[in-house]
Amino acid sequence: MEALRIGVGICGLGAVVALAVQAARASAFGIRPLHAPAAGSATRGVLYAFGPGMSPLAKESTRTHPWAYALGVAYHLGVFAAFGYLLLLLLGVDVAPTAALGVPLLAGALGGLGLFVRRYASAPLRGLSVPDDAIANLLTTGFVALAAARLRSPAAEPALLAAAMLLLCYVPLGKIRHCVFFFLSRRHLGRHFGRRGTFPVRH
Amino acid sequence: MSEIDALEARLAALTDEDLSRGLDLFRAKLGGAEAAYLQTCVRCGLCADACHYHRTDGELASIPAHKLAQVAAVFRAHYTAAGRLAPGLTGARRFDRDMVRAWVDAVFGRCSLCGRCSLNCTTGIHISAVLRAARGTLTEMGLIPPDLLQVVATSLETGNNMGISREDWLETVQWIEEEMQQDVGDPAARIPVDKQGARVLFTVNPREPKFFPLCLQASATVFHAAGEDWTVASEGWDLTNYGLFSASPAHGGAIAANLMASMDRLGCGTLVIGECGHGFAAARWEAAEWLQKRPGFRIVSFLELMEEYFQQGRLHVDPAKITERATLHDPCNTVRHGGIVEPQRAILRRCLADFVEMTPNRAENFCCGGGGGQLSMSRYRQKRLQSGGVKAEQIRRTGARLVVAPCHNCIDQLMELNREYKLGVVIKTVAEVVAEALVRTTAPSREESHVPDAR
Repeated sequence: MEALRIGVGICGLGAVVALAVQAARASAFGIRPLHAPAAGSATRGVLYAFGPGMSPLAKESTRTHPWAYALGVAYHLGVFAAFGYLLLLLLGVDVAPTAALGVPLLAGALGGLGLFVRRYASAPLRGLSVPDDAIANLLTTGFVALAAARLRSPAAEPALLAAAMLLLCYVPLGKIRHCVFFFLSRRHLGRHFGRRGTFPVRH
Repeated sequence: MSEIDALEARLAALTDEDLSRGLDLFRAKLGGAEAAYLQTCVRCGLCADACHYHRTDGELASIPAHKLAQVAAVFRAHYTAAGRLAPGLTGARRFDRDMVRAWVDAVFGRCSLCGRCSLNCTTGIHISAVLRAARGTLTEMGLIPPDLLQVVATSLETGNNMGISREDWLETVQWIEEEMQQDVGDPAARIPVDKQGARVLFTVNPREPKFFPLCLQASATVFHAAGEDWTVASEGWDLTNYGLFSASPAHGGAIAANLMASMDRLGCGTLVIGECGHGFAAARWEAAEWLQKRPGFRIVSFLELMEEYFQQGRLHVDPAKITERATLHDPCNTVRHGGIVEPQRAILRRCLADFVEMTPNRAENFCCGGGGGQLSMSRYRQKRLQSGGVKAEQIRRTGARLVVAPCHNCIDQLMELNREYKLGVVIKTVAEVVAEALVRTTAPSREESHVPDAR
């Protein structure tokens, strides 16, 4: 078990380093100085992008797809909960089964499964998909589900740690790297539309 | 050889050297923002309905994420380790002839660069910025639809995108001035030309002198009523800039320089961009970046200026003069890309007895389908009219008989939609509405108007 924990630590460190390198390489493409005087505030735009702009009501795409949005939110809550739980396990803290942790983990696993079904049941989404979409979903959903299982039974811990290693190794390779690039993109988007006075969006 | 064949011939003749050069051009167009955008998409597909193309054709290739994927595939293949090592895993594809063809279809044939997908992306990708970078790459590879390039060339050769001669322009201005004098009953009413040191330089879309002189007359009437110290230029008067659509900074910068030169020559304090969405976005936002220089003067939309006149009490209107139900079209480059959202609404609420909004509106508006240079690319005409079906339906739902559109490209498209979808509406600019609603009072003299000069 100790070897698995060390393995997870190494994979986690590797993922963090790889993501940091990728983010640095993206940033190395450069930031162009802007010359047009701003009409609005870039800072307000960024705050909007990370605040009200994330609300399901802020965008038609989420307003009109509440189930997809809800599945996504549940999935991400589950992922965050699973990583938090994993960190506690690595630190030797065993958390007793509680609804506060169990519910998000279960919801996350179901959310991931729901998104998987949604992707492959929809012809347009199948058309958009590449193998990375299936692999990323299955690795992540499996990891969250195993975290939920470990919460109920310590016997699931080796499987959870193995799944965590696989997931962490995969993170820099595919779409899961949006865990970093999401923040970079939203910041750029917020700055751009904030300067122009489009953000915050008035309805 | 037809326009379509000319582009096909260029695609067929692409060499490895061309592709390698194209990749270098693409790389040069990417900044940190684009590099981040290209690695963020999770292919959730929620952007699909944000696009008027996908809404009307239902094709996979019209989903914004699919268009983005064509560009991202090349980025991954050439600039990421995972894309190089396992291209099949992430959909990475090298920049070959097939990909170039896919780019042409995605960024010219299925996109008006309206940016609606950007605001609807769940992960915050400015999709239209990426597609613009791809357009610019293709343009610099010589793979731009020839009729779009021709508009740029005409601007560069003649100073305006319709090739109107200086004599014709000045004759038209004089004729409109005479018409305005009769209309306002003031023989002293003027459309000043090349007035040195005027507070305001007003710039015009060439469609106005060519096809819609009443629009120019309406703008002049508003200036007259407001008592503005204004002028038009004899040279460098065209506000349009199709460099925004070719996405070439060289094109955009060269065309924008005409307006900047007029401002320098005439020493005006404020450059006013008439009612034209892309012209405003190009002059207000992009010109400074293309020219790498902050303008030494204020650049405003005529919409902003008219609203300032109202706030200063310089215009007086009677909304009872226009009683038919009216709605407002939000040009993407004025509103979403330009940030001018409320002035036009404030103006119309003053001037119209029955003003209703389309749904959705403001930054969430739908493109009419005529943006992004689509009006000048004949090969995509059917697609353009089909994509405009979303806007046609929006208009129909308002029950309006008058559609106000502060953009000439939009007006051209809306006029076609009016015929195609039998909407039975009249389409006007904001200035036309204001001029029609004006209550004639004696125009204030320059001394009576107190407008702080932002220069």
